[in-house]
Amino acid sequence: MLKRISLVMLVVIAFAGGISAQAKVYKVAYIARAQADSFAAWLANSIVDEAKKYKNIDLKVFDGRANDDTENSLIENAITNKFDVIIIQPNNGESQRPYAVKVVQAGIFCITTNARIAGIAGASSVDADPYEQAAVNARMALKQIPQNAKVVVLDGPPGNFHADSRRVSWQNEFFAKRPDVKIVGEQIANWNKDEAMRYMEDWVQANPKIDAIISMNDNMAAGAIEVIKNKPAYKSTLSYGVDGTAEACLLIKAGLMTSTCLQSAYALAEKILDTTNKLVTGKSGQINTDIDAPLVNKDNVDKYIAMHKKAGAIK
Amino acid sequence: MSGFAKTRITWSGITRTYSIYFVLVALIALSSVINPNFFSGGNISNVSRQISVTTILAFGETILIICGLLDLSSGSVLALSGLLSVASYKATGSMAIAFAVAIFIAMLCNFISAMMVTRFAAPSFIATLAMQEMARGSALLFSKGQNIYQIGDYTQVGQGSIGFIPIPVLFLVALFAMTWYILKHTRFGRALYAIGGNQEAAKASGINVNSVKLWAFLVNGLLVGIAGVLFMSRVNAGLPNGAINYEFQGLTSSIIGGTSFSGGIGTAGGTVVGAFIVGFLNNIMNLANVNSYTQQIARGAIIALAVIYDIWTKNRRTSILVKGVAK
Repeated sequence: MLKRISLVMLVVIAFAGGISAQAKVYKVAYIARAQADSFAAWLANSIVDEAKKYKNIDLKVFDGRANDDTENSLIENAITNKFDVIIIQPNNGESQRPYAVKVVQAGIFCITTNARIAGIAGASSVDADPYEQAAVNARMALKQIPQNAKVVVLDGPPGNFHADSRRVSWQNEFFAKRPDVKIVGEQIANWNKDEAMRYMEDWVQANPKIDAIISMNDNMAAGAIEVIKNKPAYKSTLSYGVDGTAEACLLIKAGLMTSTCLQSAYALAEKILDTTNKLVTGKSGQINTDIDAPLVNKDNVDKYIAMHKKAGAIK
Repeated sequence: MSGFAKTRITWSGITRTYSIYFVLVALIALSSVINPNFFSGGNISNVSRQISVTTILAFGETILIICGLLDLSSGSVLALSGLLSVASYKATGSMAIAFAVAIFIAMLCNFISAMMVTRFAAPSFIATLAMQEMARGSALLFSKGQNIYQIGDYTQVGQGSIGFIPIPVLFLVALFAMTWYILKHTRFGRALYAIGGNQEAAKASGINVNSVKLWAFLVNGLLVGIAGVLFMSRVNAGLPNGAINYEFQGLTSSIIGGTSFSGGIGTAGGTVVGAFIVGFLNNIMNLANVNSYTQQIARGAIIALAVIYDIWTKNRRTSILVKGVAK
């Protein structure tokens, strides 16, 4: 009798253990740079949607509010609360680096994304290459921008890895090869459409002809285009951005913007969750991967508009 | 001796009243020399359009500061009211409804701030800081942090012109006239100055301080709501993260225009001049391709000079009055 009871108990325990192993849900913290930043918000929303596809992942999003101190505190809190995976979208890579190291030291899986914090032993990363994103535009611009052109440049916030890398890319891939091109205006518009508009309005007063707008993101390019879209004198002005936002795709379709490079939040989210899953299920110990940097122009924009329509960003 | 003192007071009064206008004229003259494009009709119209939104916010700040209050939420409330206005336009296609929604939301936010200040005696600095967070958070929550595009003819208000005058400038002129009239020719306006000058004395003289403060916030809400429509219309999108720090641009125009942070002093005309000084300064620095960092330093220096000048003239006037009384 005692043997039978013991056997039944063993079966019950084994069964319960099996269920528990099957139902193991991993706690994942996503520390977003700033949800007030439209790309960061797009990425956070995409990650939340993508996480719903994984039954073994319970994702929580935390907002770093574009503040290093806040973001670092959130990482510390996530370590204290024993999350299984901590995904960091840095506000400032070097500021978050020691905290990402702490995550690894605590035995927690760490993934850095948009932009990656490179060189942390044991940490994984998923990113888009900002240099290449600008370079695909710059290589096209070499052929498209006319000789002795006058151009304006809109920069992102200084110190931001993507803003700085994209500007370096334009310098190396375009300006260094085209000394005939003159920059008649260059300002930091902090990724913002309204700031870019104000700068462009002033540049238009001082320059009866602007051959190209070179912008480090689509939002600023859209602001500059807003100023000249109804001015016949600037009808042939070329414009370049990065991100492949819904607005940029519509502008390309309307013939108002030349090209952009897609930094797809959907693709990033897909890879981030795939990486997370592979790490927690032991399929891999460390992953470093990039999404593609496809050029979006009038030849292929319909495909990307369809993508945004599917995601609900374009009605 | 008294004649000398009288002459000094008059001269002080003249410099106090008109110095800001001299600064504006000097800036225009200097900028015209630096860049020949500066003093063109097109550029003046350009700057006027650029400063419309922040100057409308500055009128609200001026009304509040005169009364001894402050609004740190106007940029965020502008974003929330403008965003909901865009959404309602997309849903209904009616510009009248879009304006009504923006004004209602902005006035509601200001009503809540006013309640915190008048019913719970919260300093306006804190109350509007709380509102800044709540309004921005609401805008981001409503839009999930994403911009709203394809807003159609909503852009006509911010980008259109009547004749050669941009529509936002027409709004600016109309709201200037309204603010000027309120401050100069109404009991409410006089009550604002009285409360800002000495709240206890105002109360003793029968002014319903809380009611005046509530109305000051509501008028500010009206202005912010209109600015919200103009802003979103101008940028051709609903931007939940738009107009960040615009409250400080409004405050800057107001302070440079001679509004005293101590309350009781300020004019609508001064605020417009302050806004044009900031606008022209930004404009000439862009035309001359001065880099962003230097532009920030210049703007900061101007605020510092305006505040120092305000304190200096106030101390000087007090010292003259004290000497006069002593004699």
